[in-house]
Amino acid sequence: MKKVLSLSLVSLLGFGVLAGCNGEGSDGGGSDKDTLTIWSFTDELEEPIEVFKERHGVEVELTIIPIEDYPTRLRPVLQSGQGAPDVFTGELAFIKDWVEQDYWEDLSQEPYNADELEGDYIDYVFDMGKDSEGSVKALSWQTTPGGIFYRRSIAEKVLGTDDPEEIGERFSTMDGLFEVGEELKDAGYRLFPDEGAVRWFSQGQNPQPWVNENNELVVTEERLSHFDYAKELRDKDLTAFAPEWSPAWFASMDGKINYNAGWDELEEDAEGEKEVEVFSYALPTWGLHSVLKTNVEETAGDWAVTNGPNPYFWGGTWLGIYSGSDKKELAWDFVKMMTHDEEFLKDWALETGDVLSYLPVTEQIKDEFQDEFLGGQNNYKFFLEEAQKIDANTVTRYDQQIDTLFGNSVGEYVEGVRTKEEAIEEFYNLVRNAYPDIKVPKQ
Amino acid sequence: MNKKNTILKGIMYAVLILLVIISFIPFYMMIVNATRSNSDILQQGFTLLPGTALIQNYEILIQYMNLWRGFANSLFVAVAVTLLSSYFSALTAFGFAVYKFKGKNFLFILMLVLMMVPGQLGLIGFYDLVRLMGLLDSYIPLIIPPIAAPFIVFFLRQYLMTVMHTSLLEAARIDGAGEIRIFHRIALPIMMPGIATMAIFTFIGSWNNYILPLVILFSPEKYTLPVMMGALRGSQVAENLGSMYLGIAISVVPIMVAFLFLSRYIISSISAGAVKG
Amino acid sequence: MKKLDNYGYMFIIPFFIVFVTFTIYPILLTFYYSFTSYSGMGDPEFTGLANYTRLLTDSYFYSALYNTLYIWGINFFFQLGIALLLAILFSDIRLKMRGLNIFRALFYLPNLITIASVALLFSILLGWHHGTINHLLLDLGIISSPIDWLNDPTTARWSVGLIGAWMWFGHTFIILMAGISGISKDYFEAALIDGANRWQTLVKVTLPLLKPIMLYVLITSLIGGLQIFDLPMLITDGTGAPQGSLNTIVLYLYNQAFRYDNYGYAAAIAYGLFVITVIFSIITFKSMYRNNVKEG
Repeated sequence: MKKVLSLSLVSLLGFGVLAGCNGEGSDGGGSDKDTLTIWSFTDELEEPIEVFKERHGVEVELTIIPIEDYPTRLRPVLQSGQGAPDVFTGELAFIKDWVEQDYWEDLSQEPYNADELEGDYIDYVFDMGKDSEGSVKALSWQTTPGGIFYRRSIAEKVLGTDDPEEIGERFSTMDGLFEVGEELKDAGYRLFPDEGAVRWFSQGQNPQPWVNENNELVVTEERLSHFDYAKELRDKDLTAFAPEWSPAWFASMDGKINYNAGWDELEEDAEGEKEVEVFSYALPTWGLHSVLKTNVEETAGDWAVTNGPNPYFWGGTWLGIYSGSDKKELAWDFVKMMTHDEEFLKDWALETGDVLSYLPVTEQIKDEFQDEFLGGQNNYKFFLEEAQKIDANTVTRYDQQIDTLFGNSVGEYVEGVRTKEEAIEEFYNLVRNAYPDIKVPKQ
Repeated sequence: MNKKNTILKGIMYAVLILLVIISFIPFYMMIVNATRSNSDILQQGFTLLPGTALIQNYEILIQYMNLWRGFANSLFVAVAVTLLSSYFSALTAFGFAVYKFKGKNFLFILMLVLMMVPGQLGLIGFYDLVRLMGLLDSYIPLIIPPIAAPFIVFFLRQYLMTVMHTSLLEAARIDGAGEIRIFHRIALPIMMPGIATMAIFTFIGSWNNYILPLVILFSPEKYTLPVMMGALRGSQVAENLGSMYLGIAISVVPIMVAFLFLSRYIISSISAGAVKG
Repeated sequence: MKKLDNYGYMFIIPFFIVFVTFTIYPILLTFYYSFTSYSGMGDPEFTGLANYTRLLTDSYFYSALYNTLYIWGINFFFQLGIALLLAILFSDIRLKMRGLNIFRALFYLPNLITIASVALLFSILLGWHHGTINHLLLDLGIISSPIDWLNDPTTARWSVGLIGAWMWFGHTFIILMAGISGISKDYFEAALIDGANRWQTLVKVTLPLLKPIMLYVLITSLIGGLQIFDLPMLITDGTGAPQGSLNTIVLYLYNQAFRYDNYGYAAAIAYGLFVITVIFSIITFKSMYRNNVKEG
């Protein structure tokens, strides 16, 4: 026994040393002269990085951290400076908080002089990157208004038209949305993949921040209407039980999915529908290139985008230079390329369909733009118009966590485990518990 | 009576085999699903037969998450922890078992009392300490603290007291050996079976540790396997069930294979640990 | 000898340097933070007993305790129950079951798998409309419509409890067998000669002799069970959903500290958990002591 054990210990040790070497090998990589390290929460920077590497002849190391963990993981690194990236991105949900910290380099100062760029961007996009004193900390290349992406072939078949204008007309009110949902259901389709899809159209009728300047939780009637709309969707059976970001959600974009595996037992239900197809998805600009295009093969070209009952916006990526970086020049080159390099951005937009916030480029391409994936629709024009309606003052640093808590409460009501009042009460309790400083309305 | 026993025995074996099947069916589902495509899993449901998408699944998986890296990281941490905690625990146990010094009883009791304290008690302070020391996102906070493992010290001290005679030490001292040499040449080999027992626990414990590396490590290339598994769920891999299953399978199957060879030692260690501890 | 004995310090000093730095100091630091409102940034602000008064009236803490015990209870009942039945079966000297080593190894295996992998595996196997376990049960005709296992408080707690039992019954089985092999065969043979039937042997011989080892299992399982974190964390993405039914104490602590930045309050939760652990351990030890007196 002793021999075997010591043998296995020795071989393990051998592995360990190898592993250790590996570890040191790439850790050291971060401090190489011409390696730029970038942290982000999506993979959308992968292609731009390839371009950047080619242009500058440098190495770039991209670290992608899932968005739920992103702020928690990044903050200690930025505080301590250990293993910190040279460039990091921020998402809409936490950018408000981050521009006030010293993590991002002040881009208003020399040699960046980002203030001069102000007129080149859609206003809210540029403003979001400024701190409360007006210094620019981060820039973004995109704007993120939302719409509803739908399948042309199904629209043609069920609604008699696939024209975005006409579909948008029918989608322009909540009632209209539900009417279309019923028609689709009768034809064996489902309006949305899940109940969460309507959240933008309930809160969007009267956009308010979750927490106002007096540190009070603001819960409008419109926010609460999400409970009713979600429940209605479920009760009328207009969804396909494919929760956002789940494998089923992605799969449903490309064809039929197994809808309700249990119903083949209930013969008398007679519909016998084992598989079902989803008609539409509420997604913003980036939904096109980073969700639909990357997950769809069969249905490419069969899509179009139109408006919902009201405008909304969702997400957005800003990027800036870490204030403690020792490669600020190279980092600025990357930020420059990503946010105001006409040549690159034009290629990027034409290739991906991403909607830019950089006006010099959008002016050039918006009239001619066509996307094969959307059956030749000019989604650019549509989204740029929608972008004019964005009011970014509703963004707070609590959004990510409070949205999660709110979504869970709605889910509980939809599932029927809590009444609406109980679910709302529970939502208040959870917010109070997570953020004792926020004043929560008393019921 | 004998015939009745034979029938009973047959039934019991059937029950045991059923229990084995129940125990292993999750693993079987995992392996089968790891070879199937996402749409196959979503549309066809349960099947006993493997699919053909293994390679595609692997390509998707490895594009986002280098699980082998997580494997190497976990192995490195677990081996380092096991070696250090074994050696230093043996050292400490020897000190407590052989010498009579002032404060010995106090220190020993202090150690025993703190042995009862649940591990999460100091988590917040530990995190803050590590942050202030600038050791976040490194392996040091995972590898160094286990040097102080009170239970192992306690176990090895009891072990030493029962197997080592003081006459052995006396003889070595008369031969002119120093204390450190005595420890390495005489006590350490004597303690080896005890150390091996504890080493297995330490290794498994470190291998499975989740909350500490979760809190301490930030850079994905440093993630240990459990943290990587957690990150898998929020990554793009989660869009594809087949790749998810494959990722889990990769983290599980090598352990199963290792267990095939080591099961006897592991089981006898647990038995020994339970009876003596 | 006196001089030699000073070597003792040398042998134990590395241990105590590390012990004081990484165990004792963090415990004291946590204790200090539990009296402050510390958010991980800036200086902790002393708030006296505020965190503890909040803890005592915090319904989420109590529900976390309830959830933790609920899950542990299911886990322990099945873990010990199955292990005990197996141990009795394999120790029956009339049946002389074979294959102990193989079965022991097979049943133990799940315990060796990283809990994170187990959690991830079950979180997708137990999916609602698209989970493989539902597909299997439907195919077998056991259920007629898919069950949303992880989205209903009762089935979610039972799922986690049973996953725990599945992971641990093999381990407990090994320990019980070790206890039984520590019992001299003479007892069983004497019982056989006295004409005791199976039930009598079990109640009069096996169980009483296994009692100390079962109490060992109980205490270690309870202390471990109070700290359950990996499974609920990974199954619920840290939210403790559905309806907070998988929100265990350590998950609550983790969220307060690392999700909401309430480090001070999280420190108080840690001490709350400590007090609860001490209370439960004392109760268990006491009952063991009383039973021994009664029987002795």
